Amino acid sequence: MSASITIDNVRVPITPGQTVLQAARSIGLDIPTLCYLEKCGPLNSCLVCLVKINGKLVPSCGLVAEPGMVIESETEEVHEARRTALELLFSDHVGDCLSPCNRLCPLGLNIPLMLRQIQAGQLPDASATLRASLPLAGVLGRLCHHPCEQGCRRGHWDEPAAIRDLERHVADWEMGLATTPAATGTTQTQPLKHREPAPGPQPVPPFCPSPTGKSVTVVGAGPAGLTAAYSLARQGHRVLVVDRQPRAGGSLLKLPEAELPAKVLEAETALLARMGIQFRLGLELGTTVTMDTLLGECDAVLLAVGELPSVEAARLGLAMSGPHLRCDPNTARTSLANVFAAGAAVKSVPQLVRAMADGRSAAECVHRFLTGQRVRRPEKPFSSVMGRLSPGELKQFLATASAARGVSPCDRCAGLNRVEAVHEAARCLHCDCRSSGNCVLQHYAQVYGADAGRFRAERRPFEQQAQPGGVIFEPGKCILCGICVRLTELAREPLGLTFIGRGFDVRVAAPFNAAIEEGLRRTAEECVRHCPTGALAFSDKAQLSSP
Amino acid sequence: MPVDLKFVDETLERIGRKPEAVIPILQALQDHYGFLPEEALRRVCDQSEITPAAAAGVSSFYDMFRHQPMGKHVIHICRGTACHVNGADRVEEALRRYLKIPKGQDTDPAGEFTVEQVACLGCCTLAPVVRIDHTTFGHVAAEKADGVVREFLSAREAGHAPRSTEELMRVEDRQPQIRIGLGSCCMAKGSDDIFHVLREAVERSGAPVAVKRVGCVGMCHRTPMIEIVRPGQPSVFYAGLSPEEARELVARHFTGRWRWRLSRWWSRAMESLLLEEEDGTLERSAMDEREPSVSSFLGRQVHIATESFGKVDPLDLDEYVAHGGFSALARCLGVPAPAGDGGAGAQAPLEAPQLIETIEKSGLRGRGGAGFPTAAKWRLARQQPGDVKYVICNGDEGDPGAFMDRMLLESFPYRILEGLAIAAVAVGAHEGIFYIRHEYPLAVKRVRAAIKICRQRGWLGDRLLGADYPFHVSIKEGAGAFVCGEETALIASLEGQRGMPRLRPPFPAQQGLWGKPTVINNVETLALVPWIIRNGPAAFAAHGTATSKGTKVFALAGNVLRGGLIEIPMGTTIREIVEEIGGGVRPGRKFKAVQIGGPSGGCVPARLADTPVDFESLRAVGAIMGSGGLVVLDDSACMVDIARYFLQFTQNQSCGKCTFCRIGTRRMLDILDRLCTGKGQPRDLGELERLARQVGAGSLCGLGRTAPNPVLTTLEHFRGEYEAHLRGRCPAGKCTALIQYHINERCTGCTLCAQHCPVDAIPLTPYARHVIDPAKCTRCDSCRQVCPHSAVEVR
Repeated sequence: MSASITIDNVRVPITPGQTVLQAARSIGLDIPTLCYLEKCGPLNSCLVCLVKINGKLVPSCGLVAEPGMVIESETEEVHEARRTALELLFSDHVGDCLSPCNRLCPLGLNIPLMLRQIQAGQLPDASATLRASLPLAGVLGRLCHHPCEQGCRRGHWDEPAAIRDLERHVADWEMGLATTPAATGTTQTQPLKHREPAPGPQPVPPFCPSPTGKSVTVVGAGPAGLTAAYSLARQGHRVLVVDRQPRAGGSLLKLPEAELPAKVLEAETALLARMGIQFRLGLELGTTVTMDTLLGECDAVLLAVGELPSVEAARLGLAMSGPHLRCDPNTARTSLANVFAAGAAVKSVPQLVRAMADGRSAAECVHRFLTGQRVRRPEKPFSSVMGRLSPGELKQFLATASAARGVSPCDRCAGLNRVEAVHEAARCLHCDCRSSGNCVLQHYAQVYGADAGRFRAERRPFEQQAQPGGVIFEPGKCILCGICVRLTELAREPLGLTFIGRGFDVRVAAPFNAAIEEGLRRTAEECVRHCPTGALAFSDKAQLSSP
Repeated sequence: MPVDLKFVDETLERIGRKPEAVIPILQALQDHYGFLPEEALRRVCDQSEITPAAAAGVSSFYDMFRHQPMGKHVIHICRGTACHVNGADRVEEALRRYLKIPKGQDTDPAGEFTVEQVACLGCCTLAPVVRIDHTTFGHVAAEKADGVVREFLSAREAGHAPRSTEELMRVEDRQPQIRIGLGSCCMAKGSDDIFHVLREAVERSGAPVAVKRVGCVGMCHRTPMIEIVRPGQPSVFYAGLSPEEARELVARHFTGRWRWRLSRWWSRAMESLLLEEEDGTLERSAMDEREPSVSSFLGRQVHIATESFGKVDPLDLDEYVAHGGFSALARCLGVPAPAGDGGAGAQAPLEAPQLIETIEKSGLRGRGGAGFPTAAKWRLARQQPGDVKYVICNGDEGDPGAFMDRMLLESFPYRILEGLAIAAVAVGAHEGIFYIRHEYPLAVKRVRAAIKICRQRGWLGDRLLGADYPFHVSIKEGAGAFVCGEETALIASLEGQRGMPRLRPPFPAQQGLWGKPTVINNVETLALVPWIIRNGPAAFAAHGTATSKGTKVFALAGNVLRGGLIEIPMGTTIREIVEEIGGGVRPGRKFKAVQIGGPSGGCVPARLADTPVDFESLRAVGAIMGSGGLVVLDDSACMVDIARYFLQFTQNQSCGKCTFCRIGTRRMLDILDRLCTGKGQPRDLGELERLARQVGAGSLCGLGRTAPNPVLTTLEHFRGEYEAHLRGRCPAGKCTALIQYHINERCTGCTLCAQHCPVDAIPLTPYARHVIDPAKCTRCDSCRQVCPHSAVEVR
């Protein structure tokens, strides 16, 4: 029998000289690492790869596997140590994974990404970003109370980016309602070379997931119900929407044309229909159709019926809790099996976007129920949070953004035209991390449930060094893994990077106070690629110009 | 100002151009320029194999390197434990105020003085200690800190350059002699001046007596100390002499007509200097070892590592040989002992395996802290294949509050050298390295001299002690990084890298310096080796406990009457050390705890004072043996402040490599800072304890793994004090943010406090009770120190 070690009772074959980490990964066991790169050898710095052997915690990246070793990896104690290592790193990690606007959006729209896509003239991409989070985008683009703009860092400098107007711009473009700039008269005449907008209008092909074979009936075609239907359909479930009204829209139908043109709502419902969502309108639950009938036709029912008088609820066999439907706050389940609830029936929510977010959250519960997962509401996406910035820090963000004040559309009713939208989008400060979604630290924080705020500590100032060659270095995000230092050494960089100082104050820098790019003449691409966090990144421009 | 780069080229020519030469090169540049000018560093990179990354990385890692010019003189303020508990921070504050050094800077505007903190100068019994350039000042009171600077400047103006005490002179044992201890602590109290005065007086008077330099006398609390030895007569000791008094002393003892030359007043003055009992009775005594204060200090001690302390000249090789020196090495090499047979000839030569067995039988465990069996380390290295192996003497004694290794190196350089050579023979190494911290210049000087003298005799080099065994020894000076006491970091430093530890295994004995098997032993461990070979393992194992054999040297300091360097059998209790040897705490104070093992150790409370000092018992109470710092704390010490002090130290000394140590110790310190400033929250104690355990379990090397010990032991034994801090109260009255100074009704209006207040927080109101303005008060304690009526109180 070949040599082996045991990791959590699993026999793992080893080859001579192999480390425990290598052995584990060779059979697909995930031991987390931040500072490990095969080429660099074990750097032993992040200590997130701890495992337990002989009662001691040891970094597995440097532990040479000896036949017969007995290793613990997926135990509570080891996990706690790994989590603490991550939490310690976060306590000295200056940066936001997600931008404040994104975190504040109840529907979690990736606003900065959409704005960059608008700025680059990539409206189909912007539309995909928008639609990944927002149903009824044309509606929200007009009516949302835009909490995102309250959190916009640009607002601490001059005016926040006009996020809602930009949403509307993208949605209107999709629906063929967008305006093009007048031939003359606009003040901004910056050439829009490779930002030529994609030709529109054209119906956006709906997002088509593979079907799950499950079906859901959503009762109520108001904002919460339509949002739930939209989410469930995007997850591949067959969705039927029923409503007592002859038209979909619920409370939105009562709004005057000036606030919400009817054609916008029509276009949005048409999009839902194109996604395959079925509508049975003019159907009164309890009279024309019973709950049992509905339940007999589908796998789950989601009630988004708006405020429900207790008499009616009783008629449907639903328990009440005060003026609202009884509903488990963690699972959105009502007193009836397979029946979930969302929206004003459960809790009055004055803001449109919050009601929609509630619909989506309940839809997620239904989805988990249908796919056999533990039913619970979706977790808030993980993000390191930097908090309020000093004026000096804000200035660093401004360096990469347009300096212009907020753009007012020349035609208020028509919204931002294409040129205006590009200029307004260019005001975005890119508060989100360039590596968000691609960051190992962020990834394992989610996996291990790390609390980025466990340790109260004084924050280092945010610093961003935008280099002429396109490298952006944010020292506060550096976790001192040592990968870039080693890569520059291996590549025999003339200057290279090094650790400066000792202890808590160690920083990675180029020697003799040179700019970081000076140390990365041969290895910029490699170092950016292997940086486990967003400390080293390329600017958007550099990314666009690279093949 | 353009930098003259010729020196750089000369240095490279002299030291070498290989990457590993980076630290010695930087040390030379630092000595020459006073800092590291960037032009010079660039020149180094241009003209050698040293990369810019290495030059920048290494030069910013070690404390001794500066990138900014410094003042004409450097004031080093010792931040060791003993200095800390004796008010080093107040001394620093006073000096900075006096020199008008702006906040956040380290040099006064005129560029005269630079103030730097140093982890420990190793003169703990003289705490608080300050060193200006090469002159060390002990017992520096904050109120008189300015006087130290003035004294230094006036001595310079008077052209009193410090004179060397390092030339070798032979003194025959039978000759009447005046012995004077010339270790660094003694010198800090002026024994070098006394030495020169004595020699001049003897020369002028023609007295038939020799002045003999000896190593550390151990009784640091009485230095400078002199022993007058006349054949056939008991020795007489004198303590705390001034140069004038030393001159008279020669006359008194060695010129027949001294009696009438002294006035009655003088003789009384002289008598007051004789070493006497603490109660101050003026009993004229030909003090010998039966003297109570001395006998209890020395009574329990057993001198193995410190054999013949205070009697031998550190650099007199013949004297060392006459005391049996090098006979152990001779036996290991199978050559005749240098002193002739002397009875030892009967002993059979000791082949390497038996040599290791002998050490094994003696039960010797490493004295550096962890207590790893020395024989096992040697055997592991011996078993490794290959011809190239190294032995290293670890003299990077960095624990604040510890100075055993410095004293051993200064007093017994030949003994350590012999121990190192024996280790080399045992493992089959032909190269030995002394790694000594640069803060110990005298130790470096003496070891260098000892190596030179041995080489001149032909005892080192191609033929070790004349045997067919090449053994070459060199000295490498540390550049100021506590973590380099850790074996793998020490090796990194020797290889010219930042002193960052790596994961073990492989152990250095398997893969050490340049990847070769390397044995690293602590100074004290090596000092014990020749004695064990000469006297046999059983004699050594006869001392100590079941698992901890032999003796241990301790630096006894802190709030204790008789501080000094002591060597005691393992198993002696803490109480015996503190109360019998140390004479207890000052009258009126209460013995509270001992801090043992420095930043890796813990605080043992007085109620556990019967704990025997051995590896296992100390570990059982949360402390560790450590390298041998033993700081006594009385009830004026705040235990939260002590924990914070040590954590500040380890945090400052962390290499910054691994997450737990780099950030974890910082977050622990954040919590302790909050506690000490009254901003603690109830959940902080639980979080502190939880994090401390995680840092201890998760860190990469010993520094991080033991850093939480001072916190965990104080949390365990003194939790009440932590809870008091949570409520905004510091029971010991130490944490300045939690205390206020008041003047009570005992005030007579003498105005002394107002005159001494450095921040004018006390308005001058003669003959009336004074009042302190709490808003201006910086809690510097000056008023309380100067008040003759104990009218200043702390609440």
